[in-house]
Amino acid sequence: MFRTLVSLTVLTLLTAAATPSYGQKPQASPKDEEAKLIAVLKSDAPRKAKADACRELARVGTRESVAPLAALLCNEELSHMARYGLEPIPDPAVDTALRDTLEKVKGRLLVGVIGSIGVRRDPKAVAPLVKRLDDPDPEVVQAAARALGRIGTIDAVAPLEKALSSTAQANRIAVSEGLFRCADVLRAQGQRKEAQAIYEQLGSAQVPEYVKTGAKHAEQAMQPRTR
Amino acid sequence: MSGTISTKKSTSTTRMTRRECLQTAAAAGAAVLAPTIVPASALGRGAAVAPSERIVLGAIGIGSRGEFDLGWMLPEKDVQFVAICDVRKERREHVKKLVDKKYGNSDCKMYADMREFLATGSDIDALLIATGDRWHALATIMAMRAGKDVYSEKPSCMTIAEGRAVVQTARRYGRIYQTGTQRLSEANFVAAIELARTGRLGKVHTARAHIAPWDAADMNHSWLPGEPQPPKEEVDWDTWLGPCPWRPYNSAYIHGNWRGHYDFHTSCVGEWGAHTFAQSQAGIDALNTSAIEYRYVKNDTGDGMVTKFANGVQMILQRDGWHGSCGMKFEGTDGWVTIADGFEKPEVSSPSLLADADKLVAEYMERTKCPMNHVRNFFDCVKDRRPTVANPEVMHRTMSTVHAANICMWLKRDMHYDPVKEEFLNDAEANRLRSRAQREPWII
Repeated sequence: MFRTLVSLTVLTLLTAAATPSYGQKPQASPKDEEAKLIAVLKSDAPRKAKADACRELARVGTRESVAPLAALLCNEELSHMARYGLEPIPDPAVDTALRDTLEKVKGRLLVGVIGSIGVRRDPKAVAPLVKRLDDPDPEVVQAAARALGRIGTIDAVAPLEKALSSTAQANRIAVSEGLFRCADVLRAQGQRKEAQAIYEQLGSAQVPEYVKTGAKHAEQAMQPRTR
Repeated sequence: MSGTISTKKSTSTTRMTRRECLQTAAAAGAAVLAPTIVPASALGRGAAVAPSERIVLGAIGIGSRGEFDLGWMLPEKDVQFVAICDVRKERREHVKKLVDKKYGNSDCKMYADMREFLATGSDIDALLIATGDRWHALATIMAMRAGKDVYSEKPSCMTIAEGRAVVQTARRYGRIYQTGTQRLSEANFVAAIELARTGRLGKVHTARAHIAPWDAADMNHSWLPGEPQPPKEEVDWDTWLGPCPWRPYNSAYIHGNWRGHYDFHTSCVGEWGAHTFAQSQAGIDALNTSAIEYRYVKNDTGDGMVTKFANGVQMILQRDGWHGSCGMKFEGTDGWVTIADGFEKPEVSSPSLLADADKLVAEYMERTKCPMNHVRNFFDCVKDRRPTVANPEVMHRTMSTVHAANICMWLKRDMHYDPVKEEFLNDAEANRLRSRAQREPWII
């Protein structure tokens, strides 16, 4: 009992030192701050303390934080907060960790990991995400379609176009969203023809009328203006 | 054409509604008068508008503010409210009762699950979204992808990234959207905005924007003590949390005490800045951009923070000294004007400034095609397929100013923001706070 109390007290102090609110910026250097937060993740601290540490690492985490955060991606209670910490860390190790996790999780956790891959726009994830377009779980299919759209590379387009006609009706809006996103990315990169082809495909697909109309308007907006 | 038909009884107390008329005619085999199939949208009481002209409305998340909005929308003759979706049974039943009483029937449908609601509600044209802040953008995006137009309560996004996503979604699917900054459609506020915008104050150098005086900018990261979770049918806690980090259930959250918590709220700055920044940015012609500079102030509220726009105008956040809520003030080289909810009319540096206030409002209404009724503007735009006065871009740009001001307060340093790239300059830490990972499966 005494040991438990001491342990809890130490953890509380460690957590308090490591997880300031944004309004109470710590005096510690960023490196020290990160080290303390990582220590919380590796400890047997309660869920709340670990969630707080993940949130703070979203702000200050570096490559050093990637492995401790990634270790939580398969944890039902902390997977989301692990992604919360990982998503903004500008290090390719995050992308590797997220890709590696694709094979290790199912259901909601998989949907979350796919979503984070999309936010980070990892081009190496296109092939494993394309595989998920045939997943029996519609939420996984829809998450994969949207993530592929965010990545928006040309190799993401053909699988999405194929899925648009072959996937279940319930997934078609998500696949359309993926294609709209691809078109936006390609257009921003100057690949106008490719973007235009996507809008044409959407404009004649078996999707609700408002999707077709949106695609036609986007296509028209790309036409050179004449006086 | 009133849409109601007088009967003998109508000379005393009752009138036959269009619905009753159609049903009676059909029952009598009067095929000439009644269509073979009566569309669901035609079956409403008190309809003064042809069914084809009627906007079929539903709602997601109706608390006290949503009920206020509903009270504003239901009297519109061309609106027929048909369904409520809420994670709280008590709210679903309350709204159904209210709506059924209004229409004198029991037709209002109830849904607990938003995805089921959006998948089955194909007859619905538009949705009122009045959840807590954490759900505004996500529900908006899901609704627009399902082909619905959206009136969303403010603050309409939790992060800069969410705001941009609302803009993109509306554009992709051609949806009409209005954020609930209703003072952009109120004559007193519009008069003040137009005095500034049209140069009657000379060169405007300063706008002052009211921030909520009861909250802090510093946010709470603590959890309230856990309580036994109610059955999902009563309160679907997991869905209530939506894209936000999990925490244990406490009934205080669902009764409004989510405010002040970082995961759920945008601080005192967002609470009223969603209104007053939009009002201020309208007056300085900056609705298509966001402030570029944010000067940190050493307090916990943001009171006195000076922000600056690319056109040189500064906007100062001001907590106190207003007569009523959601105030704003414009100061120019030739005069000033100020207005808040408590004023009967704008206060001005010189009475002559108000001489043509009515004309200014009329010109604004003509220019924007916006009547001095925010929800009416939304419904008109739903019919005409044109942008509202508080369209997605207006929401996103003004909320980006809110979010950047919050980030300035949280990181306790001056900020510089590029509204074109939508990123902070030379501040990687601030840029990381432009978005938050969403909890599965609520990922946009």
